[in-house]
Amino acid sequence: MSEADRPHVSQEPRLRTRDRNRPRARLPIHVLVALPLALAGLISLLVTGNALRPFDRITTIEARMASKSDYFKDPEVRRLLLQHGLRVDIHRLGSRGIATQSLKGMDAVFPSGQPAAKQILDRQDHSVRSVRPFVTPLVLGTFRAYAETLEKMRVATAQPTPGGGKTLYYNLDMHKFIGLLDGKTGVDQDMGDQDGDETEERADTWNAIGFDRRGGRSNSGRVLVRTSSVCESNSAGTYLSILAFVKNEDSTPGAGQTDKTKAMKEAREVAGKIKPLIDLQGMWADEQADSYLSALGESIAPISLIYEHQYLAHQIEYRQKHGSQDTDRVLLYPSPYALTEPQLISLSDKGDRLVDVIENDPRLRQRAIELGFRVRFSGEDGTSDQLNAYLGEHGIQVPTPNRDETKVYEPDLDVLQEIINSVGSCPPPVLDAP
Amino acid sequence: MKRYLGAALTLALLAALTSCTQGDEEVTLRVLASPELADLEPLLDDLKDDTGVELDMDYRATADLSGARGTSYDLAWPASDRSYLLRLEERGERAARPESTPIMRSPVVVGLTPETAGTLRASSPDGRLSWADIADAAADGTVRFGMADPRRSDTGRAALVGVATAAAGTGSALREQDVSCDRLRGFRSGQTLTAASSRDLIAAYTGHQGEADALIAHESELLSLNASDKLREPLVIVHPEDGMVLSDFPLLLLDPDERTAYRKVVDWLLGGDVQRRLMQHTWRRPVDPDITPAAPLRAPVGNALSFPDRLSIVERLVADYGDPASPTSDQVVFLLDFSGSMRGERIAELRDAFADLSGADATSTGKFAGFYRGEHLTVVRFGGRVLQERTVTVRGDGDLRTLARTVAADSFADSTAVWSALDHGYRIAADAVREAPERPVSIVLMTDGESNAGLSYEEFLRRREKLGADVREVPTFPVHFGEADAAALEKAARATGGRMVDADKSSLSDAFKEIRGCH
Repeated sequence: MSEADRPHVSQEPRLRTRDRNRPRARLPIHVLVALPLALAGLISLLVTGNALRPFDRITTIEARMASKSDYFKDPEVRRLLLQHGLRVDIHRLGSRGIATQSLKGMDAVFPSGQPAAKQILDRQDHSVRSVRPFVTPLVLGTFRAYAETLEKMRVATAQPTPGGGKTLYYNLDMHKFIGLLDGKTGVDQDMGDQDGDETEERADTWNAIGFDRRGGRSNSGRVLVRTSSVCESNSAGTYLSILAFVKNEDSTPGAGQTDKTKAMKEAREVAGKIKPLIDLQGMWADEQADSYLSALGESIAPISLIYEHQYLAHQIEYRQKHGSQDTDRVLLYPSPYALTEPQLISLSDKGDRLVDVIENDPRLRQRAIELGFRVRFSGEDGTSDQLNAYLGEHGIQVPTPNRDETKVYEPDLDVLQEIINSVGSCPPPVLDAP
Repeated sequence: MKRYLGAALTLALLAALTSCTQGDEEVTLRVLASPELADLEPLLDDLKDDTGVELDMDYRATADLSGARGTSYDLAWPASDRSYLLRLEERGERAARPESTPIMRSPVVVGLTPETAGTLRASSPDGRLSWADIADAAADGTVRFGMADPRRSDTGRAALVGVATAAAGTGSALREQDVSCDRLRGFRSGQTLTAASSRDLIAAYTGHQGEADALIAHESELLSLNASDKLREPLVIVHPEDGMVLSDFPLLLLDPDERTAYRKVVDWLLGGDVQRRLMQHTWRRPVDPDITPAAPLRAPVGNALSFPDRLSIVERLVADYGDPASPTSDQVVFLLDFSGSMRGERIAELRDAFADLSGADATSTGKFAGFYRGEHLTVVRFGGRVLQERTVTVRGDGDLRTLARTVAADSFADSTAVWSALDHGYRIAADAVREAPERPVSIVLMTDGESNAGLSYEEFLRRREKLGADVREVPTFPVHFGEADAAALEKAARATGGRMVDADKSSLSDAFKEIRGCH
């Protein structure tokens, strides 16, 4: 600490000697008032890095992205990018929406998953630069009372908490869970009066599976998952992959099928089976994580389809603000599970610069961990260790999904498209004229 | 001089520094806004001071932002954009939808005068009220309510979808089959006040407080009304137990070129301080979870009902609800088989079915399906010929008791003249149509045996052909019971535009309930 930084002693002798009546050149009062503001402004600019290269040209990158805009909206990420002379102007659109819309005027796109990324890459007439900086699993965000109701039904299992206490994470048996979504009563078959209140249930509502036995709580709504648009979002598309996998007796629809017609037929058959599970929710709603994490999240939807990073980023922020974990909001990890892998794809020279920076600046990768992403360092493995370590250090329970779980592999792009289009009755894509 | 120079330099420095963060020049954005957002006016000056963006609000009641596209509006700020998005989807323009950010939320709820709230709560076993209870009370005249016009107001539309979803009672979003019959007739019969927007509705109510004892509107509007000095007594706000539609007041970017200004406005509106002020000033609930709700907002909102995923469903609902300013009541002709085979259990079941429709059914779907005030009901008992005919217009319990006595009659016939009875039904329908052409008429034909007397089916058809076109449109809903000829009844249903319901699969009561509201 330098001499100047030391705190001043409370009484400075010279002050007393000052003669207030003596005319003296000094700063007028309004300047004195304004000066700290000006200094504060200057300091804040220095801190945010904006003033470091005041005369450098900042390149603005027009980029279309969905939920992964969480990363580029982060102030620290913006600061780091500015140090590279880059600013990202975000245009929000669902990932599949990005893939099926015109890309004119865009320097980069950042779809949230591989199906949309592949679709976009297929559309390019030359090879383009891209980077896949992190992965994140698809999860279901819910609230404690609902998770505990599912646990009682043996549809969900709590993950152990190392120090005891309330868990934040549950594993969700998708086979059983689909049994609750399918319009028939019971997890496995028709169970009639499930909660013993002497009325036979026609379909699984929350009350029918015992939610209203929790004292003062009631929800006569069906057990269902709220998703964003099936036609446009990566999360909903990936969720369909999980449902299709489970409904297809734990195998990827169309996999190993060399006859394209047969594969498509398989796709339509499985789509017919999972469509009712999606239709339950009625109209889709964009920005699932925003509504899940907002003030009335629990009233809006008991279960929302989100990404793990959105939840973890919330817990990290919550801990910083409130000094504890948000124990109301809990996650259901579907089993089998699906990982999503966002890909930043460059469409111009400016986009290439962004890909370079994301690929090479370790600080940007470190920041991704702090935002709840599982970051790739070397190879396929080891994506979780750093995130887990960070969560541990910051007092947040580390999720420990079963190691021997089945991973859902997305069907071939064509098969997945067929499933999505028939479940969502999606409009045909609007592509650039060749 | 030096001092001025110093001041000027400091100001210049300040200006230079802040201009980097404040952005460029001032912008004015034209906003198509829901009329109830006029309560934001006091905040808009601060928005302009803080962001340089001025919102030029054009308050217009629209149910689905019709007129928002291709006009001079830069932004739209409705109570909900759901109907608008469904309309875009219908046109295949879904992917090109505008960016939309929810700013604050308010559920559609019911405000009751304290006296009415007391009456309703006293008749509910646990003191909690549902939409079904409100519909039930509206049908029997206990509740006279005001609601904005669902054809013109997004608030009215949200309310209608909420009530209809509760009426369907499936626990999920409305489907086509849920709106194939108009289950809201009883509910609608209690509507005494309406307006193009909920803002006008509230104004109308404050001027005529004797005309309604309930208002269906956003919680925020009712809390604001209670906080004003315009009411004789504040309304009791009820969050119906069977769920509500939650409006999220999204700000939509219609002109993508104004994205920068839009972002500034959204960021400002979502800032913690502004969210708190929005709550304190307008009683809408903040989206920011870190804000402690003000006292009147501590009541849980309950569960949000899902919104239907197809425009046709919403349109059907709105069309069936019709013009709330000129409510119509229905006439239903019940043709009831009183042949010998109905004796015993079957007739007991029929009486129970009528009792259920007269208010004994306590289920939520039962409450929506019950007979309602103003409804014209004709009961015809038949055997080999018409045994008795009785018509009542429901004004109170006495009329329902009259009906109960009619079906309680203990005289039965030896034969069953199904088609003669139906022919008789169409004559009653012809009289009804002549008397009140605007009133929808339908026929319910309940029989438990094959026709063995009177007209043949073909003869019935020939006679029906000779009736006027508007009478031929009257549908018949046959209820198949016991040994009735299902194929013949099905034929009659199809010929008249009705639908057959099989009471053997459920009960006579469920069968009647299923038909209620179909026409």
